[in-house]
Amino acid sequence: MTDSKNNQRNSATATAWQFTEQVPHSRDLGMQIISITKNQACIRLPPNPLLFVDDNTEEFCASVLYSLADSASGLAVLAEARDSSPIATLDLRVDYFQPAKGDRALLAVATCPKLTEEVAFIHCDIFHEGCHELLATANATFMRNTLGGRILANERA
Amino acid sequence: MCTTGNSKYQAAGAANSPDECLAWQGLLERIPYARHLGLQAQTDNGGVLIHLPYREALIGNFKLPALHGGVLAALIELTARTAAQRRDKDDRCPRILDSHINYLRSAAIRPTFASAEIIRQGRRTSLVEVMCWQDNRAAPIASGRVQLLLPAVVATNTEAQEQ
Repeated sequence: MTDSKNNQRNSATATAWQFTEQVPHSRDLGMQIISITKNQACIRLPPNPLLFVDDNTEEFCASVLYSLADSASGLAVLAEARDSSPIATLDLRVDYFQPAKGDRALLAVATCPKLTEEVAFIHCDIFHEGCHELLATANATFMRNTLGGRILANERA
Repeated sequence: MCTTGNSKYQAAGAANSPDECLAWQGLLERIPYARHLGLQAQTDNGGVLIHLPYREALIGNFKLPALHGGVLAALIELTARTAAQRRDKDDRCPRILDSHINYLRSAAIRPTFASAEIIRQGRRTSLVEVMCWQDNRAAPIASGRVQLLLPAVVATNTEAQEQ
């Protein structure tokens, strides 16, 4: 890769990183970006009792894993696209394989296997930190270059 | 107490609305994350809906601005879960198996509402469809389909004999 391409990628990655870290909901949950490489993004979520599904069980609410998958997937689109033009989730499906224990951090690893001018397809796996057993797996489709919600709304009206 | 209608596509929470609404609220309050989001059950034309009040912490895109897709997912999943639990005569606490959410319009930074429709309540699973809207119910911002697993009930002697 040439220096200029390298710089372009680094700057796009830095923008995506910064953008994602500033997202209020991601901050509210406590998401931490671990890495953005090529077509892959990894986000970590430390345990937090506010995010549990029950007062008497140390277990993450499934919807928290969904948010984590959505954020990591969006970041993987930006990583593969190497730009920070706006994107929108069209749909996202999550399969919850097993309960996520609340005493350990979660890791979401999202990969973009296919990107076109208009759409991006993403696969995301969620694990406990330091464990290879899958907790949940997600598949998402994103619209690219959405220029804001108004256009998406008009298209679908 | 719980809905017992025979209609296949009856809206969830259709029996005696105010009592049913309190029961939904009670279930939501048992879930720390639902409390964190501030989810509130409301009566709705004979049924129950769930209201997600707007807070800045729910934003997923501050340029638009728009709510985070995961926030809508939480509203949809927790609405489905509550509807399925209320429909179950044993009040079993369902586990979400999978959910598939379609994002139809950008979610503005406004209060959001969700209503559930139980497509099929079986002995072991429940399939629930949830619609999400803001100002205009006829222009939904997201729709979701949630598959839930109802844990096995320990059979009593009588039930065991019947089987």
